[in-house]
Amino acid sequence: MLCERCKIREANIKYTEIINGIKTEHNLCSHCAREMDFGQYAAILDGEFPLGKLLSGLLGLEDDEEETDVRGKVVCPTCGTSFDDFVENSRFGCPDCYGVFDLFINDKMKQLQGSESHKGKHPKFRSTFEKEHPDVSRAKGEDGQEAPDIPEAKQPGDGTRSAAVNKQIRELESRLKDAIEQEEYELAAQCRDQIRELKKEA
Amino acid sequence: MGRWYDSVDNKSSNIVYSRIRLARNWDEYTFPSRMTREQCGEMLERMKDGLKDLGSLDGKEYRYGQLDEMQDLEKLALRERRILNLSAVNKKEPAGLFLSEDEGSSLVLGGDDHIRMQFLASGLKLDELWHQADVMDDYVNERFSYAFDEKYGYLTSFPTNVGTGLRACVVLHLPTLSQVRKFQSIVGDMSRFGTAIRGLYGEGSDNYGSLYEISNQRTLGQSEREIVELVTKAAAQLNNQEMRVRNATLNTQRLEREDEAYKSYGVLKYARKISEKDARIFISQLMAGEEDGLMKLDKKYSLYSLIIGIKPANLNLWAKRPLDKDEMDAVRAAYLRQNLPEIADK
Repeated sequence: MLCERCKIREANIKYTEIINGIKTEHNLCSHCAREMDFGQYAAILDGEFPLGKLLSGLLGLEDDEEETDVRGKVVCPTCGTSFDDFVENSRFGCPDCYGVFDLFINDKMKQLQGSESHKGKHPKFRSTFEKEHPDVSRAKGEDGQEAPDIPEAKQPGDGTRSAAVNKQIRELESRLKDAIEQEEYELAAQCRDQIRELKKEA
Repeated sequence: MGRWYDSVDNKSSNIVYSRIRLARNWDEYTFPSRMTREQCGEMLERMKDGLKDLGSLDGKEYRYGQLDEMQDLEKLALRERRILNLSAVNKKEPAGLFLSEDEGSSLVLGGDDHIRMQFLASGLKLDELWHQADVMDDYVNERFSYAFDEKYGYLTSFPTNVGTGLRACVVLHLPTLSQVRKFQSIVGDMSRFGTAIRGLYGEGSDNYGSLYEISNQRTLGQSEREIVELVTKAAAQLNNQEMRVRNATLNTQRLEREDEAYKSYGVLKYARKISEKDARIFISQLMAGEEDGLMKLDKKYSLYSLIIGIKPANLNLWAKRPLDKDEMDAVRAAYLRQNLPEIADK
């Protein structure tokens, strides 16, 4: 169908107007549509409407501005990507970002991917650095796993730990989650470290 | 040697091709978006050197090219053939490409992620392609250690690829099913199973030629095998549905369908000017007619290769000269006349 206004270009925008119960339909090309006044919808036609950034919106934070302020300034020390950058581009800067932002993105990741932990292939070959320095690598491996473990997630090691320790871990995990929600990051970090310590001992 | 899409899969031409893509990153560098020009260049040199014997793995011959040194036209043509994605085409920093002779396997280095492996084949072949990808993945991993996290799996630039880094896609020709009113609800149902369908060349009625791509939505929390199985099943299911509605049209509108196929052939074979949109519609009708045995071409021919051939950048390469918009339609008609096989006697 041709655009009803210029009658030259193909119409690709269908505009339905209902005024006082009377419905009128217009078929326009994007060029002509841009020249007409659509009020608040004009931004969509101007290409300003950030449709592509919908994902960012989901990954980002709730409307609480104060919260956004604090979290947005957290920066990955390895590559300099701030959490704001991540929300803006929906893209991480380096492998370490996952660890740095883990506390913020864990729940969003679950929404986005329907899961928060990898199932499937593991690399067959470890890094050359780890092969050469097995002791350092173990420490590094722990560190690299900046991520606190998630409350609901079943830990593979559960069976080998005593019930008491498991209970303690579960309690800590729920405190960790609360702390994140309350933005008490220092407390969250403490919980995370304690959980890690307990798991190591077990 | 021909390209992968020149070969025809005998089982079903409704399932046009399968594609597997793996995203991987080397743990020694930040992701490409955070790398300097120098780092990109250095990484590329090291990777190029480490992968120079790539062909010894699968016996294919690979050629290497640097994307930032290629002509735009060549890159756009590669995009039309699905070797490059848009961000690789637009990349200004050094990036590289290993491409097998048949274009069935490729590695893009320094695109969105450090390594993007891709495998393509006609027909429903996700299983085989995943096997190829798995082997190639280990080969690359042996030389470059991957950024991997016990919790999040293989780490990637975009959170939509993290975990397996695997995207398994099947492209289907659904000329009749996509016209059925229930199609939108089928699309909706598919998403509940974790697969997504999109028009290969645009959404809704703009998708002239009715090619649809189905792929896994998620990359985290499912194993590679599960993803491959899921997409394979979903594609087979769509193909079944398409066959069912098509068979119904054969019973009630056989003559109309036959007429449509022959008319499409006539236009494609004898037109002196044809737009890409029209060509895609006619090729689609011809594909459906041939698949349903309403007409026979004198050689088994991949009609999908025509769809790639008539795209602007590839047409320019075929003509070996830059074409303006008016010339394009004439050259497209010439290309079709030359490449479309004759009709076989019944």
